[in-house]
Amino acid sequence: MKNKRCLSLTGLILIMFFTFTPSVNAEGKIHKLGMSLAITGPTSDAGNPYSKGVEDYFRFVNETRVLGDDKIECMIRDDQYKTDVTKRNFEEYLDKGIVMYLNYSTGSTLGLKRDFEEEQIAVLPASYHAGNLDDSNYIFLPVASYSEQLVALSEYVVKNHKGGKAKVAMFIHPSAFGRGPVEDAQKAIKAGLNMEIVEVVEHGKNLDNSAMLKRLSNKGVQYVLCHTVQSPVSTMLKDSTRLGMTAKSYGEKGKLTFLGVHYTGGNDLIALAGDASEGFFWTCSFNLTSEPGKGTDKQLALAKRYGRDNKAANSHNYAAGIMVAQVVTEAIKRTKAKGFEVNKKNLYKEMNAMNGNYAYQPYTTIGPVTYSDTDRAGVDMLQIYSVQDGTFKKVGTPIQSEYMKKIE
Amino acid sequence: MSYFFQIVVSGVVVGSIYALAALGLVLIYKSSRVANFAHGQIIAAGAFITYFLTITIGIPIFFSFLASMIITFFLAMSVERIFLRRLIGEPIISVIMVTIGLGSIIDGLIYLTPFGTENYSFPAFLPTTPLTLGGVSISWTQLVGVIITFILIGGFSWFFKKSTVGISMRAVSDDQFGAMSVGISVPKVFGLAWATAGLSAAAAGCIIGNITGLNFDTLHAFGIVVFPVLILGGLDSILGAVVAGIIMGLIQQLASGYLDGNWGLSGTGEVMPYIILLIILLFKPHGLFGIHEIERV
Amino acid sequence: MSTNPWLATGNYFTSYKQEQATFHTHLDRSVFTLFLFLLFAWPVFFPMGNKYMLVIDNILIAIVAVMGLNLVTGFAGLISIGHAAFVGIGAYTVASFCRIMGDSHIFVTHFWPVLIIMAGLMGALFGGIVGLPALRLKHLYLAIATLSFQMIFQWVINFMSFFNQGQTIFVGRVTWFTGTVGRKDHYLFWYYVILIFVVLLGFGIRNLLKTKYGRSLVAVRDNDRAADAMGIHPGLTKVYAFALAGFFAGVAGALHAYLYRGVGFESFTLHESISYLAMAIVGGLGTLNGSFWGPVAIKLLDLNVEQLAELAGRYLPSSMNLATALRPFTFGLVIVLFLMFEPRGIANWWRIVKSYTKLWPFRY
Repeated sequence: MKNKRCLSLTGLILIMFFTFTPSVNAEGKIHKLGMSLAITGPTSDAGNPYSKGVEDYFRFVNETRVLGDDKIECMIRDDQYKTDVTKRNFEEYLDKGIVMYLNYSTGSTLGLKRDFEEEQIAVLPASYHAGNLDDSNYIFLPVASYSEQLVALSEYVVKNHKGGKAKVAMFIHPSAFGRGPVEDAQKAIKAGLNMEIVEVVEHGKNLDNSAMLKRLSNKGVQYVLCHTVQSPVSTMLKDSTRLGMTAKSYGEKGKLTFLGVHYTGGNDLIALAGDASEGFFWTCSFNLTSEPGKGTDKQLALAKRYGRDNKAANSHNYAAGIMVAQVVTEAIKRTKAKGFEVNKKNLYKEMNAMNGNYAYQPYTTIGPVTYSDTDRAGVDMLQIYSVQDGTFKKVGTPIQSEYMKKIE
Repeated sequence: MSYFFQIVVSGVVVGSIYALAALGLVLIYKSSRVANFAHGQIIAAGAFITYFLTITIGIPIFFSFLASMIITFFLAMSVERIFLRRLIGEPIISVIMVTIGLGSIIDGLIYLTPFGTENYSFPAFLPTTPLTLGGVSISWTQLVGVIITFILIGGFSWFFKKSTVGISMRAVSDDQFGAMSVGISVPKVFGLAWATAGLSAAAAGCIIGNITGLNFDTLHAFGIVVFPVLILGGLDSILGAVVAGIIMGLIQQLASGYLDGNWGLSGTGEVMPYIILLIILLFKPHGLFGIHEIERV
Repeated sequence: MSTNPWLATGNYFTSYKQEQATFHTHLDRSVFTLFLFLLFAWPVFFPMGNKYMLVIDNILIAIVAVMGLNLVTGFAGLISIGHAAFVGIGAYTVASFCRIMGDSHIFVTHFWPVLIIMAGLMGALFGGIVGLPALRLKHLYLAIATLSFQMIFQWVINFMSFFNQGQTIFVGRVTWFTGTVGRKDHYLFWYYVILIFVVLLGFGIRNLLKTKYGRSLVAVRDNDRAADAMGIHPGLTKVYAFALAGFFAGVAGALHAYLYRGVGFESFTLHESISYLAMAIVGGLGTLNGSFWGPVAIKLLDLNVEQLAELAGRYLPSSMNLATALRPFTFGLVIVLFLMFEPRGIANWWRIVKSYTKLWPFRY
């Protein structure tokens, strides 16, 4: 019987599982963590390097004894971007006694919000959706929310726009993930931001955007702010380049300048769009390997240590994965240093205390990570990058959104 | 007005690419009455093989394009031989599910490679300056795509009309027992139908991959996206696929060109083809060019 | 009736009424009663972790949904590639009440059985509407029409702000005689609720198949023109098959909404529709017990592969791809192997085992 075979297979796996589990170190403690993310399925191009980053950093922590004798055991599971599977993974992690949880998608973070509340467990998602924070005390965004990024990008547009009101269009993902930040941008305009949103375009699986781009151009749009994933942006950029509508320099009159939020950019965009990505502006809170520094050296060394290929090593999603692992490790370290037991409650307290003099600067981000009872976004600073000669280069110094505080 | 023409031209271009993607489905259905739900995966595989041959092995892109068509030709043929040959005569639901299962298996195999999760793009091999005519522009990639589409479709139409093999394929689709009695090998015809479908899928994959970039999710979604085209065209008509493809392309472009942004609507280009399809099916249950089957008890 | 009320080795029916009895021998009845008792009793003796309770609840919900799919696809022979959308209709019926009244309104939390039935009726209504094309369409055309419904459903949920644009709409905790069902007992409580629904609906199908209405489904599947000649209206039968399937799916959806305490559109995508079809096929199309085997097999397979993948990932750290590739690969492989070598599904193995044990130890 199929059923029986499944059961015996389960049995076999369980036996193997127990026999091969590394024997527990007698002196140190094991701190269990869980992560559920999309390694396959939608958005797996981001999820895959992200999981590698988390995995590698925790291995590094264990091998170099960052926590002394203590070890971190982080269970990583693929949920294929399905909330049901995420919930199953989360329940299992709880059964196994995790002290902190790492999540991934917007949908599952919102879906499990109430469970996080009830379990009173600190959560670091890979989704920077501002809606995650509504009615929630336990979700910590690693970096500034999409809304904040989009508003900051809008402010950048307004600041650098010459003459009159800046006319922009929004190119967004056809889901709540895409639509949420647009509302905040509209609020910012009400609060006095000198900008006009001419049109909000929700893309589909379009093979041709010529008509849309022409329409925008006819309406006098000069800037297109994108908040979606790379693939549709790349199609649009290619179309725009083909039509000769892409601005050669920032804000060129009569042409379109493209700007995007976190998930629109990165090396993946360059890989997809090729030369058409030239001059694309992008906000990100992570250090990129195309702008070498101390942090990126460490990131590359970590990737090398665990035999990751170049693509993963240079991905900003790899950096994002390392960053959440760093934050968790730091929280555990601080809890231990204070002599408290490492559990859900104390870790949550420690996360909330990560501000002021206790702000934490991981090597992967451009600014310090700060959390408090009211501040739920880790890195508040944003770096604007733009594509020059096929790599993302820094534009100016890190910025911070001003209007976001006004509209909250 | 130039806006309208641009939409129409885009619609025709997108529509012909749909037609090419649907062609493989038509070829399979025409001879073996199988709806292939693994078509999207073969499209993706074709695109990835081309990329692999071009970048990793270093063959000029034109030859790797041909090579990938040949590889998918044999790949699809062996898929038919191994999996579908046994299912001749089984109910339609079994056959549909086998192709769905196959799609899932190919998914798994592609996830084994870096192509499953990462993004790539073909090297630019065509001029990047667009062709512009009276305010309407079309890219070389799209133009070449359309030309290849029509060459392939023309070729297949000729093949079915004139060549002996093509005529025997049509004979099989018309009446399997009759075809057998005049000495046509039905299994061979099925194999050939799959093989040619694989070939056209690789072509479609390369063209779509050139436009969107190589992302597995985007590419294999086309296997489902073209089903309305297939049904609207009437399942077994090549001409139907072309007409339906262009109609669907136009509907999609017109919907996103005129509906989106008005009355608070958005993303209508995604869903309109399905709505129109349902309406048309209510009046013409066998699509535009489908053959009305005569059923007897 | 055979002389021995406990055992029967042949067919001794003398009236149709006897043949229609649910249990033919005392043995059948007692084994079934014992089995049912065990189903209700085991959680008391072997308490499970939340994860496995959730998995079991999930399997039971899938059983409800697949029973419906089996009615329309297995018994009536109409391929539905949009079953997850019907499940979604049920879930979003509950979600709509939560949106209008607030997620902890007394109607949602106290009168949940009413709401679950209402969700089922809503599913039936939409099932009937979607079944309308079946009046004219057949085979693949019909399959694609249901696919269209799936796509339209996804778009509507994703687009309308009433449905929170596909993001989770929360559903409050329900209240039982013992008070609000808390986090600790949540999965156990819903295990019993879903189990009761499974048993009731299972008996419903079993009895339905013995009536004119059940047989007309099979007649339409085998040849709708012949059925027409015998006085069965094929069109109406098809629409009613879809409505019935919609009811089951709606109930499953409402249970899903309550179990997960929230409704988000990711749970009702095309992929889920395909999973339901796979469950029906692996279990055995056109059989009642196949609706039980299929979800168990597919869900356990998924779970086992996940564990296997994790194990592989432990030893092949930098080739995570191998581990994640296993999941779609095995899912596809199981479907294909079943269709190639056992198209009648696990239900056929069950039949073989049953006929074997029936005669044991006195074989011919």
